[in-house]
Parts: sequence; C-alpha cells; structure tokens
Amino acid sequence: MAQNISPEQSGGAGGGGSKHSDDSLPVKDNHAVSKRLHKELMNLMMANEKGISAFPDGENIFKWVGTLAGPRNTVYSGQTYRLSLDFPNSYPYAAPVVKFLTPCFHPNVDLQGAICLDILKDKWSALYDVRTILLSIQSLLGEPNNESPLNAQAAMMWNDQKEYKKYLDAFYEKHKDT
Amino acid sequence: MTSLDPAPNKTWELSLYELQRKPQEVITDSTEIAVSPRSLHSELMCPICLDMLKKTMTTKECLHRFCSDCIVTALRSGNKECPTCRKKLVSKRSLRADPNFDLLISKIYPSREEYEAIQEKVMAKFNQTQSQQALVNSINEGIKLQSQNRPQRFRTKGGGGGGNGNGAPTSGSVAAPPAPGAPAAVARNASNQMHVHDTASNDSNSNTNSIDRENRDPGHSGTSAASAITSASNAAPSSSANSGASTSATRMQVDDASNPPSMRSTPSPVPSNSSSSKPKRAMSVLTSERSEESESDSQMDCRTEGDSNIDTEGEGNGELGINDEIELVFKPHPTEMSADNQLIRALKENCVRYIKTTANATVDHLSKYLAMRLTLDLGADLPEACRLLNFCIYVAPQPQQLVILNGNQTLHQVNDKFWKVNKPMEMYYSWKKT
Repeated sequence: MAQNISPEQSGGAGGGGSKHSDDSLPVKDNHAVSKRLHKELMNLMMANEKGISAFPDGENIFKWVGTLAGPRNTVYSGQTYRLSLDFPNSYPYAAPVVKFLTPCFHPNVDLQGAICLDILKDKWSALYDVRTILLSIQSLLGEPNNESPLNAQAAMMWNDQKEYKKYLDAFYEKHKDT
Repeated sequence: MTSLDPAPNKTWELSLYELQRKPQEVITDSTEIAVSPRSLHSELMCPICLDMLKKTMTTKECLHRFCSDCIVTALRSGNKECPTCRKKLVSKRSLRADPNFDLLISKIYPSREEYEAIQEKVMAKFNQTQSQQALVNSINEGIKLQSQNRPQRFRTKGGGGGGNGNGAPTSGSVAAPPAPGAPAAVARNASNQMHVHDTASNDSNSNTNSIDRENRDPGHSGTSAASAITSASNAAPSSSANSGASTSATRMQVDDASNPPSMRSTPSPVPSNSSSSKPKRAMSVLTSERSEESESDSQMDCRTEGDSNIDTEGEGNGELGINDEIELVFKPHPTEMSADNQLIRALKENCVRYIKTTANATVDHLSKYLAMRLTLDLGADLPEACRLLNFCIYVAPQPQQLVILNGNQTLHQVNDKFWKVNKPMEMYYSWKKT
C-alpha cells in the first residue's frame, strides 16, 4: 500500500517498452508525448494558475519542475514546495513520477519525497495533466489520507494541529538549507 | 472524482439541470451564430492528446468523445473506465464511431493538414521562445552582432545598392539611406516611422540575409535587436548602418506603445481596411499579423525581388508579388501641404512616414491606412476638418514632377511604372478638404 508505484521510467530516447503494449511505437509515440507536453505547457502558461506553476527542467521536455504553494488555512500555508515530474514514454496513458524536491513533512509523503496519491497510481486517467496533478497534491497537503500513511509519525501527529504546526516549523528550520 | 456506481438496471438519474432544461430550438432561418475559436476548440478537442479529434469515438453510455487511437490505447493500458468520468468501459464495444462528428470537423476545418501544420508551427515557435537556452543564445547572438557592427555605424553613405535586389524586401524596416538628392527630412525622421509590418519582416530578414545565424527564433526579445543589426549590415557598404540601428530602436518603441510584442500575431493599430476587392491577404499583412506565407516563402522573396527589377507589369506577377515587400517614404505634398497647412502643423515632424508593406497593397489601402494612422497619432490634436480625410497620393518619377496615383494600382505596379530605382519609393500625400 505504502510505496509509490513508479511506472517504468524510461529515459527520453527511443528505448520505450516494458509492460505496456503501446510502447511498441516509441518514435511516433515520443513525438505524440512531447506534443502533448508542449500543449500542456502552453495551456499552463496561458492559464497562469495561482499557487501552482511548472516548467520543463532544462531542454528535456520529459522532465519538469513544478512549484506549489501550501494551501491557505492549513498548517502548510505560506510554504512553497518544489516537485519533480518525470514523464514516461507512455504518458498520458501512464502517470508521471512525481516527487517532492523540497522536504515535506506530511502523512502521505515520505522523507525521500515520494508521494502516495491514488491518482498517480491506480486511479490515473489520461485526462490528468500537470495542472490537475499539482492541484491534487496541493489539496492533498491540507487533507491527508491518514489511513495509509507513508510517514507514520506525521499521520499520528496530524490530529493535534497546533502541535503539528509547531513541529512543522521546527522541521523547516532544520531543513532550511536543503 | 469517482462517479456514481453503474446502476445495474441502467436507469438514468436526471440531474436538476437536466430536469429543468429546455431543448434548444432549431434555427431554420439564416441566423448566424458566432462561436469563439477557443470554445470551439475545446469542443472539438480530444482530451487525451489535446489535438483535434481524429476518427472520433464516443462512449456509448456517457457520450464522451476521444480519438479512436487515443481511447483504444487508454483502454488497453489503463483502467477499463472512461478517462473523463470513470464510467466503466468494458471493451471497445462500449464505444461507437461518430462519423457525424468527423464530418462536422471536416466542415469547420476543411483542410485539416493546413490547420495542423499551423499548429505545429505555433508550437515550434512557442518552444523556441520558451526554452531558456534559446533565449540566452539569442541574447548572446544579439550582443555579438551588435558589437561587430558598431564600427560600421559611422561609415558614410555610399552610392547604389549592392547585390541586394531592389533593396526593398530584404533590408530591415528602413535601413536604406535617403537618396542623395532627397530632402533632408528623411534622415532625421527615423523617429517617426510607422512600422506596418514588424514581426514578419524579422523572419524574412534573417532568412534572406547572408547572416543567417541561429537568431531566427521569432517573437524573441533578442531578435529585434539582432534583426536590426542584420538589416544594418545587410545594407552595410552602401548605407549608413546608423539609420538601420536607430530605426529599429524606434520600432521597438512603436511596438511598445501601440501593440505590445507578443509571440503570437500582434494585433496592430491598423485595423479595418474594409472594402477592397482582394482584401484577405493584403490586409493580413498590412495589419502585421504574422502571416505564415511571408515566412515560409521568404525564399521566394529572393526571386520576386529580382523580378521586380525587370519590367513586369500588370496582374501577371500578382501571385508572385504577394509576398514581396516594399518600402515607402511618405511625405507631404510640397506645395499643397506646405508648412502653414493645418494638418502639417498638427503633425509637426511626424509628417514624414516610413512604411514597409506588401507590394500587393493598393494605393487605396495606403490612403486608408494613412488616414487611420494619423487619426490615431494625433488624437485630440487633429483638426476637426481633417477627420476621415481623403488622401491623394502622388509619386515623383522626377524631382518636381508629381504624378497623382489611381487608387486601385498596387504598390508593385507603381514601383515598376514610376520608380524602378533601388531605394525606398518616395510618395507624397495631400488631403482633400471636404
């Protein structure tokens, strides 16, 4: 339950292939994937969504870095988080691998930054995109699923929000340089 | 997110909206309804590939549409549910082809290839502008070119015009110097030029120039600087690079003021030249939309440029001339628009205009543009009597000899008939009092 399922993380080039049969056309596929990612980027730039942003990390369109603001009226309010998004060649039929780059103390995020979120795993749909992923993660921050924690300590502390916030502040103090 | 469980007996629960709604009335008369491209696009788009639907498949139960390829792949690789609403889709049999919708799309976009090609182009441009590397490259390139060309600024103006065709189409906006005999007003007027055709000219510049470096990403902040330099060095031995540089500086000013530079087609301050017999193309270029033709065909420019020196007159070269550009120096009529004229007084030093436009624009286009532009420029200063004025346009084949021009001639024809020289065509205007 706990681990983040990572869809095959094939590198940018034509490699393709593993469990999905649609990877049999890597070259054409790759074009379609990057095309879709370009469109997403364009839409994202146009939409100018508040609280989230994302941009390809360097020249590789398959790797993005996103940022999201901690949702208001939660203990995460005022924080900014950076995340990495790695898109497989089978995107959008398979979810990207999304990880927190900024340390995040949260019941459904482990200390390596891996995120436990259903829509990034079995509930993935081809209609999700960078924008909806970031929005989902943003709302996950305020509404953790304490039933299946990756970070048991955080899950246990969650009920006492005051205490949690205090711990959180100390946590960020400690990780300020990272 | 997870929607209603599939009801075993397949009865539909109607939502409040569905209970209330009235059927749309069928329109039988000739009423036309405008739909914005954006909302149209979201209707015709496949939510998986974000492209226009191709071989539309519709889910039988929830009626969501996808490209055939997209939905088949999605079903094969993921959950057996509708990507849009998560309704169970057992197999391909839960889908049906939707040829009507395909037909609809093909009616709206008859030439899909063209549409897609444009999309790709826009995307490619967008990528170039969005890539940080490209930005850095182009800035560096611009700086390099600038420093290379700086010494040339003070070179004097030489004689005729190098191997540069008739000069007009390739050089930057108004890089070429005034003719030795021309009134001095021309030179000091870099600041007043109006720039009809900005974005596309950048592209054709770098294409046709010998300096065809990487700085061809359009819509780039670096580009205008770079292209200014290209134009300068293009005209280099024969013209003062000086004027080229300062022109482009003002071009940017002009852009800033009137149409903020954007990576897409820049809406121009020159709207409607309505009523004309062949409006589409001429207008789109006049209004400085980045027209696809003028980019892809800049190779052609080289050819037509040569042609225009040969005496080709009349409609015959209309097709070729479409992408041809022409530069004009536009001055007030020496006698009819003398210094004490009301309009000239209001215009002050703005009375001389530099225009770069397509050679297939007609004299009528030009006078409409001029009227529009002056109205915009002057605003409140414009004397009431001069509003919506009718301009007479003249050309001077020889000094002191002004020929009044007929409205339906294209600039190309005028150029061939009267000008022929390798420098911006000088035209004169006066306005008829009404």
